[in-house]
Amino acid sequence: MSAFALVAPPSVDAAIAELRAGAPGDVVVLAGGTDLLFELDGAKAPRRVVSLRHLPWRTVDWNGPVLTVGSTLPLRSLERDPELGRHHPGLLQAIRAVGSVQLRHRATLGGNLGRAAPASDLIPMLLALDAEVDLVGPGGSRSVPTDRFVLGSRRTVLAAGELIRSVRFPEPRPSVYLWQRVRPANDISQIAVAAAYSLADGRWRLAVGGIPPRAVRVPEAEAALSSPTPSEAEVRQAAELSVRHLSIAPDRRASAEYRRHLVRTLLERAVSGVVADAQGGQR
Amino acid sequence: MTRPLPLTVNGRPHSLEDVPDSERLLDTVRWRLGLKGTKEGCRSGDCGACTVLVDGASTLSCLTLTHEVEGSSLTTIEGMSEDPVGRDVQEAFGRAGALQCGYCTPGFVLALVGLLRERGRSASVDELLSDLGGNLCRCTGYLAIVRAVSLLQKEGP
Repeated sequence: MSAFALVAPPSVDAAIAELRAGAPGDVVVLAGGTDLLFELDGAKAPRRVVSLRHLPWRTVDWNGPVLTVGSTLPLRSLERDPELGRHHPGLLQAIRAVGSVQLRHRATLGGNLGRAAPASDLIPMLLALDAEVDLVGPGGSRSVPTDRFVLGSRRTVLAAGELIRSVRFPEPRPSVYLWQRVRPANDISQIAVAAAYSLADGRWRLAVGGIPPRAVRVPEAEAALSSPTPSEAEVRQAAELSVRHLSIAPDRRASAEYRRHLVRTLLERAVSGVVADAQGGQR
Repeated sequence: MTRPLPLTVNGRPHSLEDVPDSERLLDTVRWRLGLKGTKEGCRSGDCGACTVLVDGASTLSCLTLTHEVEGSSLTTIEGMSEDPVGRDVQEAFGRAGALQCGYCTPGFVLALVGLLRERGRSASVDELLSDLGGNLCRCTGYLAIVRAVSLLQKEGP
């Protein structure tokens, strides 16, 4: 009767073995399932679904400046962590942009990364925070920066049998996440902008999402911001450079012209927001 | 899968037999348990009509495989009359006239009960309304729903 077989391995090793047992495309990983389930009804549905529900990865760990989030922790639990908003305000805003409360009770950070949807609301912020993705697989463990983890739309560096164990955020940063969409909840951003300033290296990170195939940093715009308190002219130039260097196409959600307008507007607001956050916040 | 699947439903233990691996919690609730108060709206996570509580957390039953919540405590609208917060929310919806066709109401009630349990009295009306953004009312009776939430925050359970 079932279109697929669901297995829930009791350990990490067993999960890796399950993933290696099937041919690629025949086996998929299930975390929260809020994105994957759309694929399970189709004709090209995989035959075997490996659930991570028994793995011990629903964790939040604050260790000095480093925040490590277990890959299967529901996003709502991370959102409700009392420390998150103080250290990573932009990450809290990005999480609250994902689906709805109900959806975030099941959706996970690992699932969002592993599924690599082109309009992910988390990946732009992970780029701006220099998040590292910790993987475990048949060959052992390795860590990959978000920028190298996501290769394209629905494409990642995950090898056969490899799983996302956790995501590490190296340091608290003043940060802001802004989006535009038709409906605040349960919708896909037409454009989203993540901005963060590193007090450690004195540099800005600017990332733009909502543009297929994947969210990207905009180094040209980052370079235009020379200080933690850039001038209005610098901020405007960063916005202009973003529009010039991004490849912005139209789709059914928004025209290219509207998207360019959104990139300019949201980027200027996000940078101003980070400046205000850095001046007002104590961290 | 032939192994029985334990699930506590509105406080009563159940052991479900022969639940297919691909069965959604929404279908288990409506067709296997016969609890038709939980509604199927979009079946794609957009409307919130199928909201239930899984161990107290509001959950989209249309986007949840039943086996994934094995062993959990499930609460549906049918369990709300035995729940103090659930009774207050339903009372507030009644007093505010916060329903027209009623199709979205169980989802709104469960979502709100979940929020009130999670956040207690500390949440403001604005915060509660923002966190209800995942629920749609196609009669567009939102003003009355806003009144119901305001009533709850004024008088409190």
